[in-house]
Amino acid sequence: MSKRRFVCSLDELPPGGMKLVDAGKFGVGVYNVRGALYAIVNYCSHEGAPLCLGLVGGTNESAPDEPDRLRRVRDGQIVRCPWHNWEFDITTGQNIADPRRRIRTYQVDVTDGEVYLTA
Amino acid sequence: MSPVIDTNVQPHFRYNAEIRRYLPVAHQLRSVPDVERQWYQAPGGDYRQDLYGEHYPGSDPATVSRHLFDDAPGGMGVAFAILNPLTRGNIADYLLNSRICAAVNDWLLDRWLEPDTTNRFRGTIRVNPEDPKGAVAEIERLAGHPKLVQVGVPMQSREPYGKPMFEPIWEAAAAHRLPVAVHINGGNGVDYPPTFAGHAHTYPGYAAFMPLNYFVHLATLIVEGVFGRHPDLKFVFADGGYDILTPLMWRLDTFWLSMRDQTPWVDRYPSEYLPGHVRFCSSAFDGPLKGGEAGEMQRWMDMTGKSDLLMYGSSYPHWSTSAADVSAAGLDADQRDKVLWQNASELYDLTVQGLADQKEEAS
Repeated sequence: MSKRRFVCSLDELPPGGMKLVDAGKFGVGVYNVRGALYAIVNYCSHEGAPLCLGLVGGTNESAPDEPDRLRRVRDGQIVRCPWHNWEFDITTGQNIADPRRRIRTYQVDVTDGEVYLTA
Repeated sequence: MSPVIDTNVQPHFRYNAEIRRYLPVAHQLRSVPDVERQWYQAPGGDYRQDLYGEHYPGSDPATVSRHLFDDAPGGMGVAFAILNPLTRGNIADYLLNSRICAAVNDWLLDRWLEPDTTNRFRGTIRVNPEDPKGAVAEIERLAGHPKLVQVGVPMQSREPYGKPMFEPIWEAAAAHRLPVAVHINGGNGVDYPPTFAGHAHTYPGYAAFMPLNYFVHLATLIVEGVFGRHPDLKFVFADGGYDILTPLMWRLDTFWLSMRDQTPWVDRYPSEYLPGHVRFCSSAFDGPLKGGEAGEMQRWMDMTGKSDLLMYGSSYPHWSTSAADVSAAGLDADQRDKVLWQNASELYDLTVQGLADQKEEAS
């Protein structure tokens, strides 16, 4: 059963930050993406790697008119799995290559300057 | 009796010097490699033993017509045969090579396609990928001919076909809705070794591996975005090798999931490009050994949708010429129809006579 639990004060989770919470079987990562809070399971849907240990950054999309045909987008909201580089959008839980390969997401809320996770 | 379309037939010159009649005067005294200048000789010669007779194998339209259309094994005469004459490999003088391609094309029209009143032969526009401007010009010169149904290039190449220097050629082919058929060329030119690791020792090592080079062309066409940019572009890998397609696509799909961000123009699984862009001709060397596990062939053909990609090709007059019923052995009824005629009928827009009537009766 999921329950609402205290994570940290909002001051301890600035934009770009992540707190790994001991919740559920694998843990849950709570992320601050440009001021908005999101939570994803610490378990890659590919082979079960600790996903929240992966680098957070952006991803590339096709830009046919650029010299390198690439454009950097969604900076700060993409986590790359440390095992095989699968990319997931932290804000939706969707895999970038194949959105059907999702990971679980959780509710986060802020009350009186304190971050709570429901997991 | 199922109709049959043979998508891989190699017509030959009657004698090597015949090509000179079709070369421009400026090139007529140049040395031109023979079709048969090869390192690896097939057992007993390159062509079917019984075809060495009055004419050089595959060089006489009347004889070829009789073998393909009338006297085929099992009564499975073909309704159409796609003629893909081979050229002479990659030649250092790429401008000369483009003239060789044009000479082969003019010969094909003159000796095979225009005299054919049965309307069963279709042909290939041979071009030289090492001369992209010349190749595009040759496509533009001949694309309007109703009997020329594809563009032909060698398997041998000094860069994979997904590289940007080739793209204008593929763009021209796609603009005319002409598939590009890749086939190992006849004579050895200034080519790389036939395997990644060098030269095979004898013919089995060569023949088993050389057709598999198609996968390098295929992988680069997908990964470098050529198929994505040209929705009408289709490639036919005419030496077979479809049987190893599944595990190779597993690899491409797996790497794409991990490294999609390096090539984001690949906006779907690499294997999802296959139905819209890729076909194979059958080969005597492909597939499980005959007499293997029951149903093995049927199951393998349905993996990666290979039943929709494969077209019967006899390789006539090659020593390994395979008959239609042998190529379809082990397939179920649906797969058999797809391989023997349906896939080719759709790709080349060929309507098999009598088939429409059968369909009407069935419905």
